[in-house]
Amino acid sequence: MMIAEKQLSDPLRALEERTAAVDALVLKSWAQHLSKAASGGAALLAVGGYGRRQLFPYSDVDLLLLFASDRAAGGLKDAISGFLQQLWDAGLRVSHSVRTPAECSELHDSNIELNISLLDQRYLTGDAGVYGSLVQRLPRFVHGQRDSLTRHLSRMTRERHARFNDTFYHLEPDVKEAPGGLRDLQLLAWLTQIATTQPTALAPPAPITELNESRAFLFKLRGYLHHHAKRDSNVLSFDAQEWVAEQLSLAEPAELMRAYFRNARVIDRSALRVLETEEARASSLFAQFRDRRSRISNTDFTVSRERVYLRAPQQIEAEPEVLLRLLQFVARHGFRLSLEAEERIAAQTPAARKYFTPSRPLWPAIGEALSLPYAALALRVAHETGVLTLLFPEMEDIDCLVIRDFYHRYTVDEHTLVAIQTLAQLRAAKDSPGTSYAGLLSEIEQLGVLVFALLFHDVGKGSPEEGHVEASLRIADRAMERIQMPLAERTTAAFLIRCHLEMSTAMSSRDPDDPATTQYLAHKVGTVENLKYLTLVTYADISAVNPTAMTSWRAEQLWQLYLRTYNELTRELDAERIQHAGSPERDAFLEGFPIRYLRTHSDGDIARHMQLEMDSRARGVAADIARSNGSYRLTLVTADRPFLFASIAGTLSSFGMNILKAEAFANRRGTVLDTFSFSDPVRTLELNPSEVDRLKSTVERAVLGRVDVKQLLRSRPKVTPPSRKARIQPSVYMDNHASRSATLIQVVTEDRPGLLYDIASTISSRGASIDVVLIDTEAHKAIDVFYVTAGGEKLTVDKQRELEQALSGLLRG
Amino acid sequence: MKKIEAIIQPFKLEPVKEALKTIGIDGMTITEVRGHGRQKGHKEVYRGQEYNVDLLPKMKLELVVADARLDEVLRALTSAARTGKIGDGKVFVYDVAEAIRIRNDDRGEAAL
Repeated sequence: MMIAEKQLSDPLRALEERTAAVDALVLKSWAQHLSKAASGGAALLAVGGYGRRQLFPYSDVDLLLLFASDRAAGGLKDAISGFLQQLWDAGLRVSHSVRTPAECSELHDSNIELNISLLDQRYLTGDAGVYGSLVQRLPRFVHGQRDSLTRHLSRMTRERHARFNDTFYHLEPDVKEAPGGLRDLQLLAWLTQIATTQPTALAPPAPITELNESRAFLFKLRGYLHHHAKRDSNVLSFDAQEWVAEQLSLAEPAELMRAYFRNARVIDRSALRVLETEEARASSLFAQFRDRRSRISNTDFTVSRERVYLRAPQQIEAEPEVLLRLLQFVARHGFRLSLEAEERIAAQTPAARKYFTPSRPLWPAIGEALSLPYAALALRVAHETGVLTLLFPEMEDIDCLVIRDFYHRYTVDEHTLVAIQTLAQLRAAKDSPGTSYAGLLSEIEQLGVLVFALLFHDVGKGSPEEGHVEASLRIADRAMERIQMPLAERTTAAFLIRCHLEMSTAMSSRDPDDPATTQYLAHKVGTVENLKYLTLVTYADISAVNPTAMTSWRAEQLWQLYLRTYNELTRELDAERIQHAGSPERDAFLEGFPIRYLRTHSDGDIARHMQLEMDSRARGVAADIARSNGSYRLTLVTADRPFLFASIAGTLSSFGMNILKAEAFANRRGTVLDTFSFSDPVRTLELNPSEVDRLKSTVERAVLGRVDVKQLLRSRPKVTPPSRKARIQPSVYMDNHASRSATLIQVVTEDRPGLLYDIASTISSRGASIDVVLIDTEAHKAIDVFYVTAGGEKLTVDKQRELEQALSGLLRG
Repeated sequence: MKKIEAIIQPFKLEPVKEALKTIGIDGMTITEVRGHGRQKGHKEVYRGQEYNVDLLPKMKLELVVADARLDEVLRALTSAARTGKIGDGKVFVYDVAEAIRIRNDDRGEAAL
C-alpha cells in the first residue's frame, strides 16, 4: 500500500525509485559474479523500460550483456548463469540478451525490437571501452537506418493496433498495448529520437511535453494495475476498474473510465498523426496519389497530404454552416482533418454552438452527409472534434460511456460508430451471406435515415433511470424536431429505434418455425421497406457488439428470419382488409383496401387521396404527379376497369419513364387507387416542366380509353438489351396457397421499357383482374408480384396454366 | 461421471440455461452449430429463387455431471428444450473416464 500511495502522489518518482532499487540489486549481483571474470571485455546495460528508468512494480527487467566478442562471452556461461540466478532469487523477472557492439549496430529484420530497445539503453557498469564502442557505432547506425527503423516501427504499431481493432474504446482496455496506450507514447518518443539522431550523437529520448498529463495518468494507472494483479498485468478489467476507482476515491468506475478514454484519445490521435506523416513520407507512390487527390479541393476546403484544410478558418464564426459542408466533404471523399482544421474548429466551438442550438432546418444537409459513402468516417471525425455534440448535444450522454456487459467490447459511442462502419463495409462484401445484406443495402432509398437511426439507437443508455429503447426514442425525437426532419423520415427513424431489438430478440427467444413468429414480426414492421431497414440495423447492431459477434451462423439465422418475414409480408398483402377507418367519409373510401394501405400512408396522404377521389367523380379519373427524393410519384384514382394498370404502366413507359415501384388498391365500391414511383432517366420532366402536365393528362386520357397506349409505345425507340452473359433468366412462379383470396404470380425477368405494360396487358387479356401489385427493380432485374383473381375467385388450375404459358412466351420474347 | 451433449434449438438456449441454473448447474460449453436430423431443412422462395435451407442453425451444449445427478439434469434439460415439434434436437450421454481441473489438479467429481 505504501508504494501505491506514492504511485498516487508522484508516479514518475515512484518509478525512478524502483529503478534505483533494482539498479542496486543488479550491480551487487554483477560485482559478485561477473565483474572479475569479465574484466576488460564486458559491460552491463539497462534497456527498454528499465533503461528509461520507468520500471513498473512487476515489469520485466531488461538487461543487455555487451561483450567485446562472442568468444569473450562463450567462456563466461557459468558466471552469467550465477548473475541471473541471483536476480531471479531476489524476485526480479529478468529478461536478458548477450550481444557484441557490432551485433547491436546491424539491422535485425526479424528482431527489430532489439534495435528499438537500444534507443533506451543506459550504461550500468563494466568495461567502459566496450560500451564506448557501442556509443560510437549506435548513432551512425540509427542515422543510417532511420528510414528502415521508422518503417518497421510503423508496421509493428499498425499490427499492434489491428489486434485491438484499431480502437481504444474497449470496455476492458490494455493500458500498455492498446491504441492510445503507453506503447504509443513511447512510439512518439522513439520516432522523434530516430529523426533527430546525428551520426555522431544519439539524440536523447524526447517525450512530447503536450502529452505530459496523459503520460502521468497512464503511469499511475499501470502502477495500480500491477499492484492489484500482483503481476505484470496491464488490462484494466472490470474488477481492476472498481479497485482503482476506490483507491482514487472516485464515485464510480465509470468516472475512471471516462478519464482513461479522454487521455487515450489524446495519445491515439497524436500517434496516428505521426504514423500517417511517416508513412506518407516513406512512400513516393503515395505522394503521387496524394497530389492527384488534392485536385478535389473546392471553395471551402483544400486537400493536402490526405488532410482537409479550411480555406478561411475564421469563416466558422461568421458562417457555422461550413461545418455541415465539412461533414459532407469528409463523407464524400473520405479524408480526415488536418491538425490546423481541428484546432480551428475547437477554438470556434462556442460561437458555432449558439448557431446550432435553436431549431433549424438542418436535416437536408445532415441527411445528405449520412447517405454518402464515407459517412462513418465523417461521423468519427465529427465525434473526435466535438462537431457531433455541437449538432447533437444528446451525444454527450454516451461519450466514453461504459455499460458493463459480458458480450460488449466497446463503449456505447464506439459501438454506435462501429455499427455505422459495419454498414459501409458491407458494400465490399464478396461472400454470402454478406452479399445478401449488401443487396439489401443497395435497395435502401433513404440511407441517411438508416444511419441516423443507428446513431441514436443506443443514445438512451446514458439515461439509466428509464429503459434504453424508450430513452433513445425520446432523445432522438427531440433531436429530429430540432433539425426539422420531415415527418416521413422521422417516422422511419423512430420505428427503427423503437424496434431495433425486435429481430435479435426473435432470433434468440422465438421459434423461427412457428408461423406466429413471422406473423408477429410482419405486424411489427408493417412493410417490406421497413423490414429491410430493420434487418440492416439488426445486422449492424449485432456486428458492433464485439469483433466476433456476427458469426456466419448468426448472419444466416438473421437472413432466414428476414426471408420468412419478407414472404409473410408479401403473402399477407391482400389477406387483411380495412373494415372501419374512423369516419363515414373515410370508411366509404377506405373500406376494402388492404390493411397495408394504412401502414404505408400517413393521414396527409389519405386526405390527398380522398380529395383525388372527389375530383375523379366529375371526370371519371384524377391523377397527381409529385416529386420526392429524386424520383416521381404518380397517384391516380378511378373506377376499376380492365387494362387499367396496363394503360398507366404503358403511358409512363411511352414518356421514357422507368417504373421503380407500383401498387394498386381497390376498395369495396370498385374505386381503384394506383401509385407508381418512377425515375426520369433523361430528365425530361425536370428540364421541361410543362411535360409533367402533359404526362398527367395523357395518363388520364389513357385510363379513359381516349388514347391508344399501344400506339404511344410504338413511338418509343427500341432499347438494346444487355449482352447474353448479363441477361437474367426469366421465371414465372404461380402460387395458389400464398393468399386466401387471390393467386400470386411472381415474375422475375430482365427489366425493359414497357415490360410492366406487357405483363399487365397479358394478365388482363386473359380475363384476370389485378388486385394488388408489388413491383421492384434491382439494377436491370425486375421483380413483379401480382395478386390476381378471375370473377372474384382464385385462378383455376387451367387458367393458371394458360396464363403461365402466355407470360413465359412474352418474357422469352 | 457422464458427459451430456445436447443439440437444441437456438431460441431454447436461455430457458435451458435457466433450468440448469435452477438445479445448480452453471458450467457448460456452448457452440453454434449447423445440422439436421429428421427435420431435414426446408425451402424458401425469395424473389423467384428457391433457397434450400438444408442445414439449420442449432446450439450444442456440452456439460459433465456426477453420475448421481444425471437423471435430474437430463429431466431439466429436456423439459426446458421441448416444444413437442420436429427439430427440438437430441441429447447424447457418454461415460467420462477422468476430469482434471487444470488450475489445482483436482481430479474426478471434485474437478466438476
